[in-house]
Amino acid sequence: MNSRIEYWVKIPIGPIHPALEEPEKFIITLDGERIIHVDIKLGYNLRGLEWIAMRRNYIQLLYLVERICGICSFSHNHTYTRAVEEMAGIEVPERAEYIRAIIGELERIHSHLLNLGVVGHAIGYDTVLHLSWLARERVMDILEAIGGNRVNYAMNTIGGVRRDIEEKHKRMILEMIRYYREEVMPKVEEIFLYDPTVEARLRDAGVIPKRIALEYSAQGPTARGSGIKKDVRYNEQLGVYPELGIRPITPKEFTGVIKGDVFDRMVVRVGELWQSMEIIEKAFDQMPEDKIKTFSKDNVALAKLKKAEGAGIGRYEAPRGETIHYVRANPGTDGPAKWKAREPTFPNLFAVARALVGEQLADVPVAIASIDPCLSCTDRVAIIDSKTGKKKVLTEKDLLKASIEKTKEINPNIKAKPEAVGGICGGVRL
Amino acid sequence: MNVLCTTVGLIAIYLYVSFVSLVWDGLDRRLVARMQRRVGPPLLQPFYDFLKLVSKESIIPRDSNKMFEASPILALAASITLLAYTPIGFGPILATKGDVLVFIYLLALIAFIRVIGAVSSGSPYAQIGAQREVIMLASREAPMMLGLFAILWRLAKLDVERPFSLETLYQHNIWEIGTPLTIVGSLVLLIVFVFWLASEIEVGYFNIPEAETEVAEGPMAEYSGRHLALFKLSNSLKEYASASLVVAMFFPWGLSQYLGISGIEAMLVDLVFHTIKVFMILFVSMSLFRAITGRLRVTQAVNLFWSRILSASIIGAILLVIDILGVIG
Repeated sequence: MNSRIEYWVKIPIGPIHPALEEPEKFIITLDGERIIHVDIKLGYNLRGLEWIAMRRNYIQLLYLVERICGICSFSHNHTYTRAVEEMAGIEVPERAEYIRAIIGELERIHSHLLNLGVVGHAIGYDTVLHLSWLARERVMDILEAIGGNRVNYAMNTIGGVRRDIEEKHKRMILEMIRYYREEVMPKVEEIFLYDPTVEARLRDAGVIPKRIALEYSAQGPTARGSGIKKDVRYNEQLGVYPELGIRPITPKEFTGVIKGDVFDRMVVRVGELWQSMEIIEKAFDQMPEDKIKTFSKDNVALAKLKKAEGAGIGRYEAPRGETIHYVRANPGTDGPAKWKAREPTFPNLFAVARALVGEQLADVPVAIASIDPCLSCTDRVAIIDSKTGKKKVLTEKDLLKASIEKTKEINPNIKAKPEAVGGICGGVRL
Repeated sequence: MNVLCTTVGLIAIYLYVSFVSLVWDGLDRRLVARMQRRVGPPLLQPFYDFLKLVSKESIIPRDSNKMFEASPILALAASITLLAYTPIGFGPILATKGDVLVFIYLLALIAFIRVIGAVSSGSPYAQIGAQREVIMLASREAPMMLGLFAILWRLAKLDVERPFSLETLYQHNIWEIGTPLTIVGSLVLLIVFVFWLASEIEVGYFNIPEAETEVAEGPMAEYSGRHLALFKLSNSLKEYASASLVVAMFFPWGLSQYLGISGIEAMLVDLVFHTIKVFMILFVSMSLFRAITGRLRVTQAVNLFWSRILSASIIGAILLVIDILGVIG
């Protein structure tokens, strides 16, 4: 008799759960402690950003974009600026690019230190949480001194940056790097590379093999932890990054093996902390004396953008992975016809959900925390019937049908008929 | 008259231990906060928490049954009964010839009542927490019982009247035998008991049933208001009682015989001194352990108990057996 009685239990993790920082829902089917199936429901954090964006001009949009998410406020801002600059063909002074690189790396340091603490908390190791967040205060203070705010520093503007980095800021940043190198990083390495508890819990948990990472198009530390050398700053030779000696960090340099588990993702983050500090130091050495923005005033920039045509795509490697912004001009007006952002959490979330099948319930919080999910960035579309309040689930076929209709409406001459490939995702749940 | 004395004594001990164990909870939170470079809550925070919880409305889930409301009361009752069988600087007040068995039984009973309350709540998180609680209970009992009985058996060879009573621990202690084998064996068992204590009060590695980020406080997921307050108090009492067992086994010395006092004053002095020792053992097993470790998976914790701690316990017991049988020397 091979019939076996199965006691399956469905456990909702979320929308509100102690393991999650933001509302999202994982419906986990359990056999004892073993996970049989993971289903993700998104859309609890929709704020209608794209709708708001269509009613703003390019400069106002800068501040809206910055507030998509609290942690990568600089990354989204930066990516959006790059998209607009590409669209309008605006040259950025070299000094501004260096300042962007410095602020971007400072943000990466603060984001990674935050995530190290969150992962520590997910395995019940609260000392790691408190100490790494204590170390993070230093970089937050620096960002506040430069940008005037701990989180939304509003450094970018179209065609440059809004504030210069002065000599006193440089001294503060170099002093901070010395503090991190000598006091924080040895402790961080001690915990995340050698601590027995951390190793017991993070090793072989939430394994995303290289093949799965490629198929689901994982981004950022999640992809690099699985051994994919993928970093937009390196692959696309973005801005001044090639001169700063950027290279993708994989866990191979630290531990010698690549397993694609939570441990490897954390090792990548530790490596990127070191790399960010090197980049900041190099940027200070190479930074030329120059003006910091192309347009002296915002209304000059807006006047130029009014004449812009076409579309632009901005790409940047945020701390969580590649961020892409798409902006299409609306000639004659000072706002875009369309603005769209794609953030790294969306592909990472499905990759990690796939990786969780077959693991234990205890691995769920730590695996989710290890991709550093940012749901406020992710949720932008929800199709809800306003009469019944029901949500629709769009499969790949529905999406394809909708896009063919739209293409025909824009350009009736296109005759191609693409077919659904029936990929592993199967569809997009909204 | 004797019954009256015992009852008054038990009530007095219950009040004292509730106060002291809640003070310890506050102290523990402050100590851990200092280790994590935080300021921490006020020392009396557990009292404020308790009083606030008692005054709050208790929400009963729709899917729960009668045991959901009964189990906090049963858990507290079992904890108070446990105090009557706990060695606290002197023998247990209800000492009988087999009180060690009652002690172990009551300790397991509290965990079982928690499980029953969790299963009755109808919450899936509580169900998983209850499963984990039972698994942990089954793993931690074996090394603890083996160690406890090995020590009591060794002491029984020193002409004691009631070898299965916890009073024996105050008549003779394991260190006064003085042979190298007993000392090494007892040290091994001390380590076993430090781990057992950590798993009994569910901290550090063993914070598995109540894992906050995984199953949202597990068995306690649906409890609120005064029901939760009763569980919290019963947990604090259990914490004190299980630490008392370790103290009585390994550090039973009292102050009164050196000060040359007797009667009720001697008992008070010993009780206070015992409390200080309990705080010290809890500091190692709870605060320090909680600050320097994270939570294990349940499979890893079970593995740790059956492969490492049980074998350490067996080694300790074998050393004591060799000493009794005199195989060597």
